[in-house]
Amino acid sequence: MAEMRNEVTEEPAGSGLIDAQAPEEIDSEAYRIVDRYVSEQPGGQEQLIPLLHRVQEYLGYLPFPVQEYVAGKLGLSPVEVYAVVSFYHFFTTTPRGRYQLKVCMGTACFVNNAQTICDVLGDLSGIELGGVTEDRLFSLEQVRCIGACGLAPALMVNDEAHGHLTPITVRKIFRKLKSAARKEKNSAGGEADSENKH
Amino acid sequence: MKTNTESSPAAVRPLGREAMAAIRECVRPVIEERLVTRRGVAPLRREVLVCHGGACISCRAVPVADLMEAAIDQAGLADQARVVRVGCMGLCDAGPLVLVSPDGVYYPRVNEDLAGRIVKEHLSSGAVIEEEELSWEGPDGEMLRSREVPFFARQMKIALRNCGVIDPGSLEEYIAADGYAALEKVLFEMAPDQVLTELKRAGLRGRGGAGFPVGLKWQFVHDTQGDVKYVVCNADEGDPGAFMDRSILEGDPYSVVEAMTIAGRVVGSNQGYVYVRAEYPLAIERLDASLNSARSSGLLGKDILGSGFDFDLEIRIGAGAFVCGEETALMNSIEGKRGMPRPRPPFPAQKGLWKRPTLLNNVESWANISPILLRGAKWYSSIGTERSKGTKVFALAGAIRNTGLVEVPMGISLREVVEDLGGGIRSGRPFKAAQSGGPSGGCVPAAAADVAVDYESLQELGAIMGSGGLIVMDETTCMVELARFFMEFIVDESCGKCPPCRIGNRVMLSILERITKGEGQEDDLGLLERLGEHIQLSSLCGLGQTGPNPVLSTLRHFREEYETHVRERRCPAGQCRALLTYTIIEDLCNGCHVCAKACPVDAIGGEIKNVHLIDQEVCTHCGACLTACPTGAIEGK
Repeated sequence: MAEMRNEVTEEPAGSGLIDAQAPEEIDSEAYRIVDRYVSEQPGGQEQLIPLLHRVQEYLGYLPFPVQEYVAGKLGLSPVEVYAVVSFYHFFTTTPRGRYQLKVCMGTACFVNNAQTICDVLGDLSGIELGGVTEDRLFSLEQVRCIGACGLAPALMVNDEAHGHLTPITVRKIFRKLKSAARKEKNSAGGEADSENKH
Repeated sequence: MKTNTESSPAAVRPLGREAMAAIRECVRPVIEERLVTRRGVAPLRREVLVCHGGACISCRAVPVADLMEAAIDQAGLADQARVVRVGCMGLCDAGPLVLVSPDGVYYPRVNEDLAGRIVKEHLSSGAVIEEEELSWEGPDGEMLRSREVPFFARQMKIALRNCGVIDPGSLEEYIAADGYAALEKVLFEMAPDQVLTELKRAGLRGRGGAGFPVGLKWQFVHDTQGDVKYVVCNADEGDPGAFMDRSILEGDPYSVVEAMTIAGRVVGSNQGYVYVRAEYPLAIERLDASLNSARSSGLLGKDILGSGFDFDLEIRIGAGAFVCGEETALMNSIEGKRGMPRPRPPFPAQKGLWKRPTLLNNVESWANISPILLRGAKWYSSIGTERSKGTKVFALAGAIRNTGLVEVPMGISLREVVEDLGGGIRSGRPFKAAQSGGPSGGCVPAAAADVAVDYESLQELGAIMGSGGLIVMDETTCMVELARFFMEFIVDESCGKCPPCRIGNRVMLSILERITKGEGQEDDLGLLERLGEHIQLSSLCGLGQTGPNPVLSTLRHFREEYETHVRERRCPAGQCRALLTYTIIEDLCNGCHVCAKACPVDAIGGEIKNVHLIDQEVCTHCGACLTACPTGAIEGK
């Protein structure tokens, strides 16, 4: 699976930033992942959740055409697939940001003021919970206990955990991500982002 | 993940019983050295155990271990010292935590700098870096060091016996630590009936929360007729604040694999599933690796150890639904459906996964099986209280000083856990309450903290043992807001199948929201109680039946706090934003004007670079300024 991931990140020549203008174009590799999985692991409904995991791991979300395709391959109706996708928090039908900001809302984080952390991130990014910034750079969500209670309040940025947060450290993390993205964009030959909002 | 024995010859060809005996003979002394504290005698070899539990990894334990490995090589110490990457050692607060054995010296919060010093000073010359060693002032002012610290000294490890001691990626080390000896016993010496009797005598009760006797559950599945049966491990640890299952899977995955294989033999099943949360990628990775090496070593799959018994395991990854911790919902999820519970009866022991008899236990329960079968029911049942035997793992979190995992004998008082092992409240403020059992549990107020930790005593207080998440709170946590938080969780996680849970909890939430906003009415508290009791009685599954617990238990123990919210429109803990008065602390305000920009009603004024002021008449108590202020100058009281 590691190789597959590399393909997608390397393809746009390191730009990394998803073009907001063409969000609905689905990478056809997703369909090939489904084909490969079904031929390796024959079965029906019991293969649905593992397969959805596989696809979301690659695409970052589960667009409807792919759900329909999965349904056909497993001999299910599209609504049976959607019923499962909509039931589980982990599955999402909207694309996520390049930096997924996931604020842990476990009890330990909660009693350590995770709500403030969440509000600060909302303020900084200008998006609501569950939203994505227009440039697809950040998405913000609250997640269930990530089990890093010793680090409370904690935040996951993609797969990296940050702990013992305060509004001040959160601001620092956010600025760092933003400038990292800007640098990346500049070095990729894109137009320099001269705006400096925060 | 790097492991210490990536090319271990033991992992590539099937192991026989002789080979396992040989491993135990050779490697056991190495493991035993890690458990002793022997100072002042220069050992032939030292081992540096670096905790690679989830919390330590997020505090950069991996680069620290890498650096130490390189430094050991560079210093030419490769034949005298080596780094071992072990599972969770428990004291998450001190991560990355490092143990140098056999000296028994713990170093907390090891950064790159200290890592280098440990190699240069401790490993090269044997001199303990005393000022960096884990230490704690004892009750009489004496300095307790490393293992003498109550956090470690007061524990009794059965389920966590290997966590933080062995390399979770090494089958060899697991075998050396008595691993698979219980399976051998079950395959070649004991009849299934004997195993069942032993488990029932031991008195082990389900560690997932409900506390159903494990031996009895095994007996039911054993007694049900059927050619196909399943064994399932519930590792869908959804309770916020509980992370013992994750630590066991990350730190000692083979203990679960072995126990499930034993169960397969006893109840007559050849296929098992481990249902793990998707939020635990590291646990999944290590479990997967252990399945592969158990398979290639002939400890899983066809004809295990030449006994003729076949058993295999598959991992099923959850997808983020708290209700899937409920056994029938979990089975629906494994079948690829929405994780909604089924009415019981029929119980899983009769009709479970794909309508076949199914044995379902929680990770911690599984981790207790092998020690019971090796050391006997008599030994196990001598630990704990009359009706709650053995030990329980607790995850300490919240306002407590030593966050982390502890395993203690049942019957220990909650106060001992919080104050002695946990080190009390971090901020030094008074201990207010401990919440046990997550969204299904309840609060134990500080005044009742002398309660013995066992299933029945906690239940009498309106709390439950639950999975063992223990959130400790000081007086800055508002109990009404906490109840609202849990109710929001329940409403979000309710699957929607039965109306009492779907609608009732929703109504309870809106009442709680009203109270925390200062709009509570006099009869709200009675209404909450009545509703809660009805929901408990009429919901289909454990989620609904226990959902109102956090509200009911806080109402019972902290009623006056609710009343203050309703009658005086005040939040004594200072957490309910709508009830706070916001002021600017002059010394901290740098006059950046950010708060004024954030205020939606223009209640804040002041010149740039001068101290700002909030107009209390205009303020709507939204708290926007509090989150906007970059210097923490705004205070809500």
